[in-house]
Amino acid sequence: MTGFAELLLSGVMSGLIIGLAGLAVTLVFGIARFSNAATGDTMTLGAYGALLGTTLTGSLIFGGLVGLLAGALAAVLSYVLVFRQLANRSPISSLLASIGLAFFVRAGLGLAFGHNQSVFQLDIVRPIRFLDLRIQPNDLKFAAIALVTLVIVFIILHMTPIGRRMRAVADNPLLARVSGIAPRPVMFTLWAMAGAVSAIAGIILGMKTVVSPEMGWDMLLPAFAAAVLGGIGHPVGAIVGGLVIGVAQELATPFVGFTYKIAVSFIVLLLVLLVRPRGMFGRVEGVR
Amino acid sequence: MNLTRRQTLASLAALAGSGLMPSLTFAQDAGTFRIGALNPITGAGGPYGTGMQKMIAAAAEVVNAAGGAAGRMFEVFAEDTQTQPQAAVLAAKKLIEVNKVQAVLGTWSSGVSLAVLPLASEANIPLFHCSGAPALSVAPANEKKLGYRFQATNDRFGRAFAEIATKEGFKRPATMAFNNASGIGNTEGFEKAWKAKGGEIVASVVYEPAQPSYRAELQKILDAKPDVIVMGSYIADTTIILREWYQTGEENTFIMPAWAGNPELVKALGPDVVEGIISVDSISNEGSPAFAAFDAAYQSAVGHPGLTNVYAAMTWDMVTVLALAMEAAGPGADMAAINAKIREVANPDGKQVSSFAEGKEALKSGPINYEGASSVLDFDEFGDVTPDFAASFIRSGEIKREYVVTL
Repeated sequence: MTGFAELLLSGVMSGLIIGLAGLAVTLVFGIARFSNAATGDTMTLGAYGALLGTTLTGSLIFGGLVGLLAGALAAVLSYVLVFRQLANRSPISSLLASIGLAFFVRAGLGLAFGHNQSVFQLDIVRPIRFLDLRIQPNDLKFAAIALVTLVIVFIILHMTPIGRRMRAVADNPLLARVSGIAPRPVMFTLWAMAGAVSAIAGIILGMKTVVSPEMGWDMLLPAFAAAVLGGIGHPVGAIVGGLVIGVAQELATPFVGFTYKIAVSFIVLLLVLLVRPRGMFGRVEGVR
Repeated sequence: MNLTRRQTLASLAALAGSGLMPSLTFAQDAGTFRIGALNPITGAGGPYGTGMQKMIAAAAEVVNAAGGAAGRMFEVFAEDTQTQPQAAVLAAKKLIEVNKVQAVLGTWSSGVSLAVLPLASEANIPLFHCSGAPALSVAPANEKKLGYRFQATNDRFGRAFAEIATKEGFKRPATMAFNNASGIGNTEGFEKAWKAKGGEIVASVVYEPAQPSYRAELQKILDAKPDVIVMGSYIADTTIILREWYQTGEENTFIMPAWAGNPELVKALGPDVVEGIISVDSISNEGSPAFAAFDAAYQSAVGHPGLTNVYAAMTWDMVTVLALAMEAAGPGADMAAINAKIREVANPDGKQVSSFAEGKEALKSGPINYEGASSVLDFDEFGDVTPDFAASFIRSGEIKREYVVTL
């Protein structure tokens, strides 16, 4: 039983990271209306930013903030330089451009930091024993950071004027525009938020594992899966989707082994989409 | 003639392109032999690649200084595999199709060599590589027998692991393998050798790359209470696994290949976590005259002792063996004839030689056996060699070799 509980725990941790990345994907999709393939590499950028910040300031917290800012800034820049130019074209143009941007960011990071791995020097601590369950204090901190991030995103989306405008644009861009909502502040906030959320996912992943130029790209597929599973464009859905994927993967391992656990998460995705093609939280959308 | 802007641009581009052409036209000059130095300059093999490439150039210079191989001078074309199959394939295509190289030397990492070997075979040129995957020995990858391995197979690594585990008195080994040909090759080689000794494996796991956590995998292994975990792993996954392992408070030790248990691992985790880990690597033919020659060349080209880069000793041997085979096949020989001579000049029952010049001289009077810098370099029927292995222990953050294992 403890075995299962520990698998559940490690699934939740993986799921939170996948979910955060999925949240960044879904935010962009909801408002800018395309799947941003550069999300993974924005994660990587955030992790390197945090690494650099930590080395410069000697503090993980300041380092994390530097990473966060780097992610947000990079995302806003990518909007200004690339995606705004393509806003009136088909979403495929933006998707393709985002793949190119992903390559660019990854190559740039490889050039700047090399392809060898880097690590955050976290203190290595023994786990807390709780009901015979081994809980990592660091995991608790990461989970707390993830939850705080979520809460902030929801506060912005649901309790601020800019959030209301963002949701209006997500709902119906034309109607929002004729109602006098200026698109620029909405888009800037959106990209800054998506960039910051990606960066946080990347920083947590980097702290749990190792930082390398490919780390974010490797997470892109699970992140897309989480966004789709949750109902694309739905923020809560992305997080829940990530958790479902993470937990399903880990809980399946006693039955299918470790090689096929990734396949299991995609079977779950398939099954959910068969029953609910719009995803767990998604709405049916009419053709505009 | 009324040219549009588009036509003008197109013709300009064609002109610019044709500027590159002359180098192709003279590709098949009988006086030179073109070799491709395809090495991991960046990526996971980065710490070794530059030295490997410099030793190909240095060994080629030695051959040229001795009058060339069967009268042909070596010309080296260098490329980077980035330690990635995709990039390696592009680079190999460029070397083969644009530079018209007649041999490709020095690929590292099994994924890369497995991707490049079919291209080389297709062009009927040999690939000399430093990769461990057992699949590189046999068909389909090595159907034409043009692949030669200068590194130990992962299977032989596994056998060395088993020898070391026996020597250290371990009773309950478990295995963890990265899910690719090399990782699984290591642990399967170990399992075979260990079971042949009558031992038992208490648990084994094959894990996927790029996971946010390996807790579940570790949990399964640790539940079996192993006294040693034998790894077929790489540096990044090993870093994550060891960190999570240490946090569980278990006290078993690890046996792992040296490309995972290296100074970078110590730097990433600190001396406490890695204390007592046994890191295993194939070693050069240290103490041989060929190694001394390589060492001198490495010192002058790279500025470090030759002992620091076993793969550079391999690339040094690659050029020398190729040159000796060409010399044995005689002037104007085609690749099939040269390929037929490779085992003849490297394997026993000839006069032992340690350099190209020595071999060239000895070939006039009879068969030779090149004893290399990387190993005694005797190719079996699959084109594989059997080097010696060293067991190094990490103690207080220092990786120190304690003994040598001969299979």
